[in-house]
Amino acid sequence: MPLLKLDNVTKRFGGLVAVDQVSLEIDPGQFVGIVGPNGSGKTTLFNCISGVFFPEEGEIVFEGLHITRLPAYKRAPLGIGRTFQIPRPFNSATVRENIAVGAMFGTMAGQISVDESLEVADDTIQLVGLQEHRDKPAGTLTPVEKKMMEIGRALAMKPKLLLMDEAMAGMHPNDIDNMVAFIKRIAVDEKIAIVAMVEHIMRAVVNMAEKVIVLHQGAKLVDAPTKEALEDPRVVEVYLGHPAEK
Amino acid sequence: MNNKITKYYPIIPVLIAYSVLFIFGRNIEGTWQLVATLLFYCALGQAFNIFLGMTGYVDFGYVAFVGVGTYGMALSITRLAHIQELGAVIIVIGFLLAMLMSTLLSLAVGAVALRLRGAYFAIATIGVNEGFRFLIEGARIWNGSEGMIFTAQLNQILGRETASSLMTFWADIIVLVIAVLAAAVTLIYMRNRVGYALTALREDEDAAKVMGINVTKYKIIAFVTSAIFAGLVGAASWALKTPYVFPPEVFEIHYTIEAIIIVLLGGAGTLLGPLVGGLIYGISKYYLAIFLPGFQLLIFAPIIIVIIVMFPEGVVGMLKQRTKNTVLERFII
Repeated sequence: MPLLKLDNVTKRFGGLVAVDQVSLEIDPGQFVGIVGPNGSGKTTLFNCISGVFFPEEGEIVFEGLHITRLPAYKRAPLGIGRTFQIPRPFNSATVRENIAVGAMFGTMAGQISVDESLEVADDTIQLVGLQEHRDKPAGTLTPVEKKMMEIGRALAMKPKLLLMDEAMAGMHPNDIDNMVAFIKRIAVDEKIAIVAMVEHIMRAVVNMAEKVIVLHQGAKLVDAPTKEALEDPRVVEVYLGHPAEK
Repeated sequence: MNNKITKYYPIIPVLIAYSVLFIFGRNIEGTWQLVATLLFYCALGQAFNIFLGMTGYVDFGYVAFVGVGTYGMALSITRLAHIQELGAVIIVIGFLLAMLMSTLLSLAVGAVALRLRGAYFAIATIGVNEGFRFLIEGARIWNGSEGMIFTAQLNQILGRETASSLMTFWADIIVLVIAVLAAAVTLIYMRNRVGYALTALREDEDAAKVMGINVTKYKIIAFVTSAIFAGLVGAASWALKTPYVFPPEVFEIHYTIEAIIIVLLGGAGTLLGPLVGGLIYGISKYYLAIFLPGFQLLIFAPIIIVIIVMFPEGVVGMLKQRTKNTVLERFII
């Protein structure tokens, strides 16, 4: 059984079809890259999966459970975590408290005490390498640190599926390499299915993704194992345009 | 295990401050009236902080909860005074009724208004206060605009002497207890899931939802808790201290503004903020009224602007920064 299944999901904003009849499947522990140019509907798709928006049509099934119209706050305890394109830390709270919120309200919600959540936060802080910043307000971190903190916050939820929205946008190449290695490690160690969304076909992401889904103008263009997807002429056309006439 | 106790240490400065205030008022001739005023402002701030400070939502209709609390006590005293066997129990019933009425009003208001955000919420709540006042006056509920005067019934229930000491002293002590309880509840919330959820939703409501937080539930918890304490403040400070109630007085938006100033001045969302804010505001107001009567607001407004510009996090927010990495860090929150 796939972990996540989307069946003909459509989301409209007035006359604009932001997500157009998208169907896809993500298996447990799978690493999937969702690629598409600006405006191709990637973030809207993520918002439908995490419950920020409800789609007008189609079904979203998570672990066999229909969650199409389930409020966002009920999806996190099922195991859907996400990060945002622009990090959204709880600024006044410390890094430790931010991450503890993940543990408290994630898949362990109801079974974990505040003190235990803080312990989980301490472990997670080690994992994302923010030991020095543990007691700083999250608002004072650098953008890269905020990204790491947000990933930590999502990991502390102990999710089964982690949606990463442009996790590497605007990062220095060195940081990107570290980040990729890190994501790869957690995908394997923690057995989390990761759906990473990127605007450009980044070699880094593509190299480790098992499959790539390319979105174009809200619709799914290609859904294939990575190598195949990259060689698909339709993908080349979306990114590079038509070959010049001779 | 150790941590379970130490995390509640910040209640110590609160207890010390209120004890000092009490001892000061009791031992220095002629200061009790000032102390009573300060206790009222601190309690009001402490109660309002649970909602305004912890959620970041500004409720301009907040005084309505103090108002219905006052009515709760007034109704209990006026309607039950003839049952002699009840005696002082009537006062207890009055507090319970005040809590019940403010809870019901906050649930009714919260169910509708808490769906709105930011400025929309603030504007919607102004209507609540005014609307409730005109409802009471227009529909002649609870004696309408004539209000209720119940000094006689209070004397009848408790006897003249007890009633008099209740009005001049014990009502203020009850306000003190309410302030301490509100501070204790604030700290308990801060140290538990509620507090984490409220901080998260105050900082970023959408991110909080995606993190699994039922934001509506936690906003309502904070709103109702805050309203209950407001109702108790009304019952003690307005109904028992001055045994009459008139709609234009108890639904006066002025008190909401004062509560907002106190919370922001002291530090919204901090434990000690309302106490510090209440003291600064109460003392300045008291002495400005004595030395420069009529000019209070003219002088007070710029002072508040300066303080808020200089310490956007409030006085306690600033102290928190200053005491970071010192022994005091554990106590000042």
